[in-house]
Amino acid sequence: MQSLTDNTLMLKVKNGDLDKLGLLYERHKKRLFGFFYNLGNNPSISEDLVQNVFMRVLKYRRSYSGEGSFAAWLFSMARNVHYDHHKRSAKESISHGVSADDIKGETEDHLNEEYHNEGNKALLKHALSLLPHEKREVLILSKYREMKFSEIAKVIGCSEGAAKVRVHRALKDLRIIFSQLEIA
Amino acid sequence: MNKEQFEIQAMDFISGNMSENEKREFENFLDSNPEYKTEFMELSDTWKEIDALDAPRPSEEMDETFFSMLKEEAGRTKRKNSSEVLMKWISTILKPQLAYGVLLLGIGFGLGFYINSANDSDRTTAIVLNQETEDVRQKLVLTLLEQPSANQRLQGVSEANKFDDVDETVIKALLQTLNRDSNVNVRLAAVESLTNYVGNPLVRQGLVQSIPYQESPILQITLANLMVALQEKASIEPFKQLLQEKELDTTVQKKIKKSIESII
Repeated sequence: MQSLTDNTLMLKVKNGDLDKLGLLYERHKKRLFGFFYNLGNNPSISEDLVQNVFMRVLKYRRSYSGEGSFAAWLFSMARNVHYDHHKRSAKESISHGVSADDIKGETEDHLNEEYHNEGNKALLKHALSLLPHEKREVLILSKYREMKFSEIAKVIGCSEGAAKVRVHRALKDLRIIFSQLEIA
Repeated sequence: MNKEQFEIQAMDFISGNMSENEKREFENFLDSNPEYKTEFMELSDTWKEIDALDAPRPSEEMDETFFSMLKEEAGRTKRKNSSEVLMKWISTILKPQLAYGVLLLGIGFGLGFYINSANDSDRTTAIVLNQETEDVRQKLVLTLLEQPSANQRLQGVSEANKFDDVDETVIKALLQTLNRDSNVNVRLAAVESLTNYVGNPLVRQGLVQSIPYQESPILQITLANLMVALQEKASIEPFKQLLQEKELDTTVQKKIKKSIESII
């Protein structure tokens, strides 16, 4: 099955063979779900966001050029989907008289619970949730080893060197937060 | 090595993007720079911890939702495709080929008209040919009427019956035959032939004028019958002249008197 690369499959989807998107979905759903989940979304929202990403892939399939890696293209879309989701939910919460901080608090509560239950791993998750969004995002992207720095650079729109520096600094900040949480 | 270079190389090292030589070089650098080494060790630990980060498995509902969405989209695309096929078909029709087609059709029509008009000229030729045949026949009639043999003259008169529209020359020739031919049968045939053209004033006039010249009783009676049928009043005077002839047959006399009465 791997003889058909992601690029080939996506080009087939572009030319109208929509069934091939099923294959791409199977290959990437876990990574995408993990991406959204580790960005601090609950499983149900993460699933919805995965769905939204593939809806966008369908909608913009004709704009796929086949140049560069499919994963980079997919995760650029995932990033936009995530950004749009948070913009929308922030707007909705304002209209409902709830601040964005409340939502963040809930997410933290959700992560806090795990922190008590699962020790170090949960502590790390909590530290991750305290990182600024851009840093958290770049760390999660690099966590997927299959994604090279060149691909990460494409997703976040910078040079490969800059991507490495950003990941490095995010990692360093995470370390500091993690240490502080450990002491506390 | 500046700080940024260190940051880049550290990331290359922990993500396994370095060759053996580069690795060795970087390790040497760390050994000679303990503060960087500490930082790198911490970084490496955190990286490993992040690696341990995992996520729960997405539910089966997500798959179901995705595949039903895909199915729906495929259906929509199919419908769209059929309308695209229609549009493609229309655009094909509107391609230059159509213009060529129309041009060919035009040429076809042009040729058709040309051939048709050629037919018209054929018809004209046929009419001309008919005209020529008539001319030849008229000449034949004239020639036959001058023949010494009564048989041939009779044939000439019967030829004269075949004309649709008779020429003045032929009428004159027939009238001359009626007045002067030696054979009574030929003269009788000439009367019959002239009967076909009684609509022509020249014929009527000629017939009336020939009445006094007729000596044969059968011709006199035939002419009398004809004049009654035509109700030709101009014929009364010549018939009266004829009545004064002493040698006139009594039957003919009676017939002519009767005819004059019926014409009046």
